[in-house]
Amino acid sequence: MTVAWRPGRGPGWALLVVVSVVMAAPVAVTVWSITDPSVEVWRELWRTRLPGMIVETAMLVALVVTGTVIVGTALAWLVTAHEFRGRRLLSWLLMTPIAIPGYVLGFVWLDTLQGPLGARAVRSIWLCAAVLIVSLYPYVYVFAWSAFREQSPRTIDVARTLGRSSFAAWWRVVVPMARPSIAAGAALVAMEVLTDVGTVRLFNVSTIADGVLRVWFGTGNRDAAAELAVLLVVAAASLIAVERALRGRARYTQTGARDATSGRPVTGLRAAAVNVAGWGVLCIAVVVPVARLVGWALRAHRLGQTETISGDLGFHTASSLKVAGAATIACLVIGTTMVFIARDRGRWGAALGRLASLGYAVPGPVVAIGVVVTLAALDRRGWWSGEVLLVGSLAGLVYAMVVRFLAVAHHGIGASVSKVSASAVASARTLGAGPLRVATRVELPLARAGVIAAATLVAIDSLKELPVTLLLRPFGIEPLPVWVWQATSESLWVQASVPSLMIVAIGMPLVGLLLWSVERGAQVVS
Amino acid sequence: MRHSARTVLSATLVIGALVPAGCGDDTGGGAAAEGGGQIVTVYTGRHYGIEAVFDKFTAATGIEVRFTTGKDPELRERLIAEKANTPADLLMTADAANVELAAAAGVLAPVASETLKKVIPTELRSPEGTWFALSRRARVIISSTERVDSPPTTYAALGDPAWKGKVCLRPSTHPYTQSLVASIIAGVGEPAAEAVVSSWIKNDPLFIDSDTDIYKAIATGECDVAIANSYYLGRLQTEDPTFPVAITWPDQEGRGAHVNVSTAGVTANAPNPKGALRLLEWLATDGQKMFSDANFEFPADPSVEPAALVTAWGPFVGDTAAIVRLGEFQPAAVALLSRVGYE
Repeated sequence: MTVAWRPGRGPGWALLVVVSVVMAAPVAVTVWSITDPSVEVWRELWRTRLPGMIVETAMLVALVVTGTVIVGTALAWLVTAHEFRGRRLLSWLLMTPIAIPGYVLGFVWLDTLQGPLGARAVRSIWLCAAVLIVSLYPYVYVFAWSAFREQSPRTIDVARTLGRSSFAAWWRVVVPMARPSIAAGAALVAMEVLTDVGTVRLFNVSTIADGVLRVWFGTGNRDAAAELAVLLVVAAASLIAVERALRGRARYTQTGARDATSGRPVTGLRAAAVNVAGWGVLCIAVVVPVARLVGWALRAHRLGQTETISGDLGFHTASSLKVAGAATIACLVIGTTMVFIARDRGRWGAALGRLASLGYAVPGPVVAIGVVVTLAALDRRGWWSGEVLLVGSLAGLVYAMVVRFLAVAHHGIGASVSKVSASAVASARTLGAGPLRVATRVELPLARAGVIAAATLVAIDSLKELPVTLLLRPFGIEPLPVWVWQATSESLWVQASVPSLMIVAIGMPLVGLLLWSVERGAQVVS
Repeated sequence: MRHSARTVLSATLVIGALVPAGCGDDTGGGAAAEGGGQIVTVYTGRHYGIEAVFDKFTAATGIEVRFTTGKDPELRERLIAEKANTPADLLMTADAANVELAAAAGVLAPVASETLKKVIPTELRSPEGTWFALSRRARVIISSTERVDSPPTTYAALGDPAWKGKVCLRPSTHPYTQSLVASIIAGVGEPAAEAVVSSWIKNDPLFIDSDTDIYKAIATGECDVAIANSYYLGRLQTEDPTFPVAITWPDQEGRGAHVNVSTAGVTANAPNPKGALRLLEWLATDGQKMFSDANFEFPADPSVEPAALVTAWGPFVGDTAAIVRLGEFQPAAVALLSRVGYE
């Protein structure tokens, strides 16, 4: 609502429509069947599993979102509002759980707790939620952390001079201003939980996403499964509506200059408490799982199975890098384009933007089959030379990844571009720059940290992605998660250790980049 | 639906081609058939030790095998979605129901092979010749050697209240469970099958989605009796010969232990059907022993000796009559499992 200008019609609209349709097509061809509902199947489902699935899904989403918001926000506050020895290291490390796939964290903790707790107690929605919280809280943490850092300490100082305590100042001033960021992180978490199909099954939690696969793969009834998937899309749409309501019309920009460090020095007991909280979470999320993986790998090495568990590591790693790299670049280019062409096109532009993000609300396997249906239909048209098929090509796999993760890029880039000071844009406009020039010369450079952060998130997501990769990988491409799956589906934890560690190892520098970009963002966007 | 979907698809053409093209696709369309008869492309739901078997086939025939692994149902759905454009020549599954569902969807081609008819018994292949079993495995009752003196001897007996809180089962999302229940339906009809499965549920079973972990749960005392595939014991006993779990062949007085099969079928739109058939015949003959031994399974060809560890568990009566009907009863089994509240 700040700076409005009439966008050019024509090409922008056309591009927006085409991109949205291409991105939504795989989901659309699958959910289309809702127009002709399988009444019998629904009736049966309603009598049997559906109520339970809805309750468990709602419960899991509520638990995990609440948990991640509390843990993520609290940790972000600990490391931004305080200054203590090792603060920088801790604030980086606290983001690293994002590099560990939920299904890896799941099987490691399942195996670890099975002994002390018993196989029955371990398989519960509570433990499933706990695993998802420690694996997903970094989404909230990273957004909250950057939001807290972006706020001028003077704001807090003002609050404190007005008589507020340190915590009250944070709670009444800092948190409300960071609310859009925290809500954005929580929305990502909610989507991840809604579409998770790996972790929930380990813990016998029966969610709607799990039900989609149950109906589809158990009975071969694709239509009924697709209709069930529509429930997920509806749930996701409602969550997004809630997020937008929470965000309200809030739009905060920072104008004041900022000091680089803003934490309040803490020592002694307080410092110890901060460290215990931070390192405690880290132990659960990273230290123990990685230690167990390393332990398994070493045991296999001692037993002389080094070749079995680590042969072809280079090949699998190269596959992973290739796929994740291509998916990231594609998401970045398309996501940035979408942000700029969609935002000034009112309600319809926003609607198309959301249409393109649909894939994020749908479980990986559904997206994958939707992509196969779409590409197979294109292949049958034979528009290109008969020998080249899109189905089973690297292009097909990357397309599916983009459908699945475009929302992450779109959301992230959109959020950071919207934070660019309205006056900077207005100045550039006043000086005669056109929208494209403003976008490329003013907004993107100012928001570049956000763009890099979004790219990193997509890269980490595609690196960990399992169902789409499993179903669509072309011959000669065997990314690491596939190897993990092949081992874990046979309960060969030891054989899963090396590829799991490799995924983590590739993820760590990406997490570093994420932190770096958020820090840079803190200096650039003001 | 078809009309609108097509309109949507036409609109997607431009970017559909552009998007992937801009994504650093340096290998090109990987699915193009290279060199016609020299490569056979396989979708396989069985991945344990399969690579070595294919390598041996290549060494024996000079035909290369290119394969992708996945879960049975997902590969089946991928094949159905790809229709005429599939690169796959051969579909291999670890389960009879999924291959039959694929055949019912029309994506497998009937083949008339004298070799296959000769070595694979009638009850281990589809009547239409769309798929052939390559190895058999039994889903059996397992029990603790430390705590159980007289284990249940039928699947139904697991519902005996004496086993309350002591039973471990695999969740209903897994094809093994679905096929087992389909075989019970095939044997005793749906109402009786429902009574059996309900009685298991009344015993408050612990659901574990891994046969290996089910074995381990018995060893650690989490449960006393369970249903699991026999070959996992083979693997566990190679690591620890004193592993405290025993096998009971169920329903030996009746229809026999539930037998499931690893299968293969030539796809209806195979770019290289001849190569696919050649591989299928090789797996049923020269490669038969290696294929079965890799997973401690029984060869489909009864004249081929199983691995020593497998024969050590003694002879048994298998419910082979149900095998070709598992696909038919699978949807009913899934519905039944939902009805009785099976996890």
